Amino acid sequence: MSYFDQKEPPKREDRLHACIARGDTICGLANRKGCQYMNEGDRLFTQGSICQLLPALAIMNTFPDSAILVHGAVGCGSCIHSQNAVVKTGNAARGRPAKDGLWFSTALDETDVIGGGEEKLEAAIIEIDRRYRPGNIFVVAACIPALAGDDIDTLVQTLQPRVSARLLPVHCEGFKTRIWATAYDSVYHSLGRNLLNEEGQRMPVLQDELEEIKEEYRRKHTVNVMTVSSMGRTDELELQRLLEALGLSANFFPVYARPEEMYKVTRAALSVSTCPTHDDYLLGYLKEKYGVPYIIGTMPIGIESTGLWIRDVAAFFGLEGQAERLIEQEERELKEALKEFEPIFAGKRALVSAGEIRAFVTAGLLAELGFEIIGIRSFHHDEFADKEYERLAAQTEKDYMVNIANAQPFEEANLIQKLKPDIFLGHWNGNGTAAKLGVPACVIYHTAMNFIGYKGVYEIARRLAKQLKNTAYNRNLSKHVRLPYAQNWYEEDPFKYIRQAGGESHA
Amino acid sequence: MPNFIEKPRYSCALGGALATVTALPDAIPIMHATSGCGGNFTWAQSGGGGLQVGGLCGGLSVPSSNVQEPEIVFGGTDRLAEQIRTTLEVMEGRLFVVLTSCVTDMIGDDVRRTVEELTTPDLPVIAAETAGFKGNSYYGYDAVLQSLFRGFVEKTSKKVRKKVNLWGIVPSLDVFWRGNIEAIRSLLLKLDLDVNTFFARDDSLDRIRTSAAAELNIVVSDAYGVSAARVFEEEHGTPFITLPLPIGPTGTDGFLREIGQVLSIRKNLVEKLIGTENDFFYRYLDPLTDPYNDFDMQRYAVVVGDCNYSYGITRFLSDDLGWIPELAVCTDLPGSNEAETLAERFTHLDSGLRPAFVFETNTSEIIGHLTKRWPGSNGQRYYNAFSPAFVVGSSLDRELAASLGAAHLSISFPVTNRVVLDRGYTGYQGGLHLVEDLLGAIVATR
Repeated sequence: MSYFDQKEPPKREDRLHACIARGDTICGLANRKGCQYMNEGDRLFTQGSICQLLPALAIMNTFPDSAILVHGAVGCGSCIHSQNAVVKTGNAARGRPAKDGLWFSTALDETDVIGGGEEKLEAAIIEIDRRYRPGNIFVVAACIPALAGDDIDTLVQTLQPRVSARLLPVHCEGFKTRIWATAYDSVYHSLGRNLLNEEGQRMPVLQDELEEIKEEYRRKHTVNVMTVSSMGRTDELELQRLLEALGLSANFFPVYARPEEMYKVTRAALSVSTCPTHDDYLLGYLKEKYGVPYIIGTMPIGIESTGLWIRDVAAFFGLEGQAERLIEQEERELKEALKEFEPIFAGKRALVSAGEIRAFVTAGLLAELGFEIIGIRSFHHDEFADKEYERLAAQTEKDYMVNIANAQPFEEANLIQKLKPDIFLGHWNGNGTAAKLGVPACVIYHTAMNFIGYKGVYEIARRLAKQLKNTAYNRNLSKHVRLPYAQNWYEEDPFKYIRQAGGESHA
Repeated sequence: MPNFIEKPRYSCALGGALATVTALPDAIPIMHATSGCGGNFTWAQSGGGGLQVGGLCGGLSVPSSNVQEPEIVFGGTDRLAEQIRTTLEVMEGRLFVVLTSCVTDMIGDDVRRTVEELTTPDLPVIAAETAGFKGNSYYGYDAVLQSLFRGFVEKTSKKVRKKVNLWGIVPSLDVFWRGNIEAIRSLLLKLDLDVNTFFARDDSLDRIRTSAAAELNIVVSDAYGVSAARVFEEEHGTPFITLPLPIGPTGTDGFLREIGQVLSIRKNLVEKLIGTENDFFYRYLDPLTDPYNDFDMQRYAVVVGDCNYSYGITRFLSDDLGWIPELAVCTDLPGSNEAETLAERFTHLDSGLRPAFVFETNTSEIIGHLTKRWPGSNGQRYYNAFSPAFVVGSSLDRELAASLGAAHLSISFPVTNRVVLDRGYTGYQGGLHLVEDLLGAIVATR
């Protein structure tokens, strides 16, 4: 039975044996013999990070003509204030009006917690449908409904005939998984169950032989490029450029896709992941149910990784020769352009922190630019990282630290004090620790900037060179502000609080 | 309660409580919550906080028990105790405040007992019940103050003359909180008062600990921190007054007179200060006179804000700037007593204007309230339009402004499109800032 037959997707701890707590080295991880996965350890001391609700909302906010109804306390979904600003810019970049999104909260109170929130949810759905007329309402369950015993799936099913919007239940209970990447599965789960199977209704009534041939041609040359808000429009355009150079066209999915057109993802020759940690759940389903084969390779960030990504796609279509010519020409021009930065980067020591795959491929890119990698922090570990560990271990002369951590900036602060990097690359809201310790920081992900493909390599290099030109902001800051950690914490083993399986801590 | 809130302009009790503890000097919050609460509030600040995120221990640095299914099933107090112990090892602070959340309140964890077992005089640990379902951010602010007053402020029978506490401005959710607190504080210092404001730069935990010696608590809000003031009075016997947030000369004159009267400060001292400050305000306003009149910068206005701003700004526009506010919208839902007090204030503005005032939590409905007040054109040849107009609200009210062809300034949360560090709108200087920012928006494309 498919996962998609269930109301909710499984958590990634179970499906992929993902984990969030480990202190190791790149060679240690690459050479884990006979141990396919790690323990599910956690920490004795933890800091807040995110839950699956946040990335799930980040994706759903991008869908046009849709309302998001968060069924939970009034605070669940406050994160949308930041995401809304991103989506406005994203819409503008795609030639759409830069309008505020439409989101709601059932703002559950004490009465609802005791008596259940189904009645309120029902009233909210009916009223939102009537007053706002969205094409789709994503009904998103936060923590409370699961504990209060609300059955949103049955409610939505019962209610659907009474409303004009299409109702899409999404399960995002924060307490159910430590691996926030489960968010991608939660959204894909809802899209897969509700939006992809509309082919029958969409078939043109009058068949025309020429149109059929055209459609068949289009399908044979279309690649689904999966992106769950992991890249901005400039990144999409770079991948589109590279695919078009091979005579292929790109269908970006699912962010910013119109729900009524999402079925198109079932009509492609191939699906290709742009970040293995994001897409495997849906890609398997697309293959199994709609016969669309897929590739999960690496993330096209960095010279080598971009080449690998292109070669994977090209091999599927038998375009190896064209791909080699494309890669050769792209690399030649890029390397020539990068020469001016070589003296700036040579020997500079870099520490990187981000989501699983992004952290590793960005480290690879930095090594290509001449940086020395002294450590990588990755938000979680699962089997998709194994290939990256091996590539990086083969690339480096010196072994270096790898820390699996769902943010946990206290470990980062300790590591930065010990490792003293010349530059730090961290995720959104993840550069503050380095900054306050006086280390120049460069954001590793931002949808308004370019990171992907050959153009991405050059743009990252340009940003790094700019940031290293004047590091006064963080340097000055570090002289006057402190982090909240006790002085003696910096003397401790950074992984002291990691609890290994069996209950013992690391130290 | 309504069945839903559109684009809520506040977070939950835990969100407000977290921002409040983060803003206290040398305090470390400990969330007893799932892992996502911390990041959720961080992203909310990042989106709506005037580009202020965190603080000494905010953002993703906040200690959190990150409870999961096993704790939901078997109880989370062991995990909390472990988290408190390790927090005391890793973090440097002088006060630790445990904040509970939806799931930990729903499973009934006995947090108080856990905290009592671990608190020490050197490293005090207190707790506040701040489950998201208990209320919004304003509730969380109040809950933290209550817990401070009950568990941290020391009892004293001695009241000190001219010593006062002041609160009612919610850190972070009022994006201009630092500037707003500082400006009021500096005015009260000029009346020779000893002012404890909890979150400002000269405040400290020691001053908070000894705050029970105050002879008066001043709450500069009709709604926020009022329950905490009642708790303070019960616990420590200090009476309180609530006054609207003073913005600009008219509001601040009234504020100072009221304080002077309640504290029996010599009338001429108060009047002298009011005189000097008004001189200052109008001396700085003076050179604006030509442009203000030549460009006809008087505007019709819609004001959208929380309980503090909806009235404070409307009054400034009406009574100081001479604008014509037609509609004021409060996007919060305070209790019925507070709502009544607030609504009543709009009925006696000095200008004699009577703007419509509504409580409305749904952004998209605001235009409807305006249309009721000022009907649209029927295509008649001569139509007295709602123009020139200005919308003072949050960043979410830009679409309303655009639909009216009005200028716009973001003041209430979310403030996405401004950078705010020490700017504030309270007092006389705040009035000047507000003039600068309002008229600055009008001439921005000049």
